[in-house]
Amino acid sequence: MANEIKAELEGLGYQVRMASIAEAADAARVGAAAMIVMDRIVFGDDSLNTLEVLRKEGIKVPVLVISALSSIDEKVHGLKAGGDDYLAKPFAMVEFVARVEALLRRLDDVRTTKLRVGDLEMDLIDQTVYRGDTKIDLLPREFKLLEYFLRHPGQVITRAMLLEEVWQYHFSLETNVVDVHISNLRKKIEVRGVPSLIVNIRGAGFMLNANA
Amino acid sequence: MAFVLVTIVATTAVFSLVYLQIREANETRNRVILEDEAAKSVNLAVEELRTAFEVRLTHDLRRVDYAALFGADRKAMFGNIDVLPAIPVDGKAHFVAASPVRGTVNLPGPAIFVARARSDGTVMLLGRSLLETLAFRRTVQNALATGLAPMLLLALAIGAFFARRSSRRLTDIHDTIAQIMKGDTHLRLPVRSRNDTIDKISEDVNLMLDEIMRLLVQIKGVSDNIAHDLRTPLAVVHAQLERGLENSNDEQLRAVVKQALAHIDKAMLTVAALLRLADVEYGPKSSKFRPIDLSAICTDLFEFFEPLATSKSIKMTLEIESPVQTLGDGDLMREAVSNLIGNAIKFTPENGKVSVSVTEEDGRPVVRVRDTGIGVEPAERDRIFQRFYRTASGHRVPGSGLGLSIAAAIANLHDFDLRFDDNDPGAVFEMVGRIRHTGGSFSQASHPSA
Repeated sequence: MANEIKAELEGLGYQVRMASIAEAADAARVGAAAMIVMDRIVFGDDSLNTLEVLRKEGIKVPVLVISALSSIDEKVHGLKAGGDDYLAKPFAMVEFVARVEALLRRLDDVRTTKLRVGDLEMDLIDQTVYRGDTKIDLLPREFKLLEYFLRHPGQVITRAMLLEEVWQYHFSLETNVVDVHISNLRKKIEVRGVPSLIVNIRGAGFMLNANA
Repeated sequence: MAFVLVTIVATTAVFSLVYLQIREANETRNRVILEDEAAKSVNLAVEELRTAFEVRLTHDLRRVDYAALFGADRKAMFGNIDVLPAIPVDGKAHFVAASPVRGTVNLPGPAIFVARARSDGTVMLLGRSLLETLAFRRTVQNALATGLAPMLLLALAIGAFFARRSSRRLTDIHDTIAQIMKGDTHLRLPVRSRNDTIDKISEDVNLMLDEIMRLLVQIKGVSDNIAHDLRTPLAVVHAQLERGLENSNDEQLRAVVKQALAHIDKAMLTVAALLRLADVEYGPKSSKFRPIDLSAICTDLFEFFEPLATSKSIKMTLEIESPVQTLGDGDLMREAVSNLIGNAIKFTPENGKVSVSVTEEDGRPVVRVRDTGIGVEPAERDRIFQRFYRTASGHRVPGSGLGLSIAAAIANLHDFDLRFDDNDPGAVFEMVGRIRHTGGSFSQASHPSA
């Protein structure tokens, strides 16, 4: 699996180095790693311990934990140890890539009060959304959904990511509920004659077009 | 019960027998004595007879004896009977009923008489009142009765006691088996260390249950192991196919690869669902349980699924009264109910209805999802919760076939039963708590995590 990951990410233009967990930690310490992808099973519990130590030292490098263990308990364990995201096998490569990119481009600034793409602007304090001069009425859940997109512009967002982040559901669905929600959101924010801001990425999920 | 009846019948029979024997012996004694005396006195001279009678009657302080001599004309000569009773003059004892009326034989009570003809033509009459005998009989009867009744009651009581004790043990066993069949597979039959037949059988059944559980776990383990081992290869194949797709311009090949990817996606979905099921059934359990509000969970899910229902023109309703609390894992409960609601919408055609309700019935929390969809045929109702079961009418609808199994496993984990009912048309799936709430049994957190 590691080879596949390496090939995929290198194909996208990233530099990928395979290393032991200790080497990865050291690289993070000197700032030589933009991100760590860690397979929990391969390195066992040591990996989580090393991660905890890393966090205690204040190293904030994004860490994506992948694992054969899919239970929520394990996920919580992984996240508590300091992981930023947790992906259980089996996963599709698109899912994996989407999450890697989400972590790499994460907007960590907590002082952000406004999110904007093109003429779509969201005020996090007032909880309002404007497209140009028009105010858009969104239900709380729709607001959260749009906020997530606005925080990850130009990135592939999978349905699984939305389920986890917007609804806090940690299970997979066998219906296309998410699609319907996205479709409703699109209708609310779209402007006639202008292509939709939220586009479908076939086989992967959705993306907020940042070049509007 | 049969035992008690037999005892009663047997005892009564014995007592009756004893009584009858006594009675008969008594009567025979009386008859024999009279007949004997009559026979012995038949040749005495009249004057000797008179003397004998006087002696007899004088000594008869209790007035039980009768003795009289009648002439050949049947007129009384002497004695304490003045009319010859209507019995054959054959020297045999005969029963004469009581008759206190004068003119006939004047008797205060029944008696036996022996009438014997003598060689001089006179008829000798000897008799004995049966009043005493009757009194004696009555005494014996009373004694028997007073003895019999308590004896019977005792037999009944003891019989009932033993029957109930044995029956209660059997009822307990029956109840335990019913619980085990419902899914409490860790239960075992009670063994009371009395080493009797019931205990021995209970022990045997317990051993059988242990073995069955062991085999079940093994079987489940096999399918779980397979899922486990398939996980990584599937992910690898998926990734390779995707890369192949990116790097190829051959349209035919791309079409084939896309199809292959779709199938692998389905396989991965199934594997993931199987692993999920194994996780719910065997993962760490109630240590993570805390008070959760089923009403809040269902409200949340209702809002989540409503747009989907609307897109199919399905009318979806929510009925919740007030917070309905239970102890559990909010994430798992959400997953279970989400499966039920998802199914309801999936299997209900356009313009149908789906309703979600959360209530407390009979002290038990109940989550009910009702739809007007294709329902489940009676023949299949037992099997819909099995892994991979797809109904005949529903198997064309996409899905892993594990949704209900997962929901059932989650329900069971929370001590709920997942039941199916006919909505005619459509289906009703309800999760019913097994444990009754007695008000205030959970600590009310100010913000129960939902």
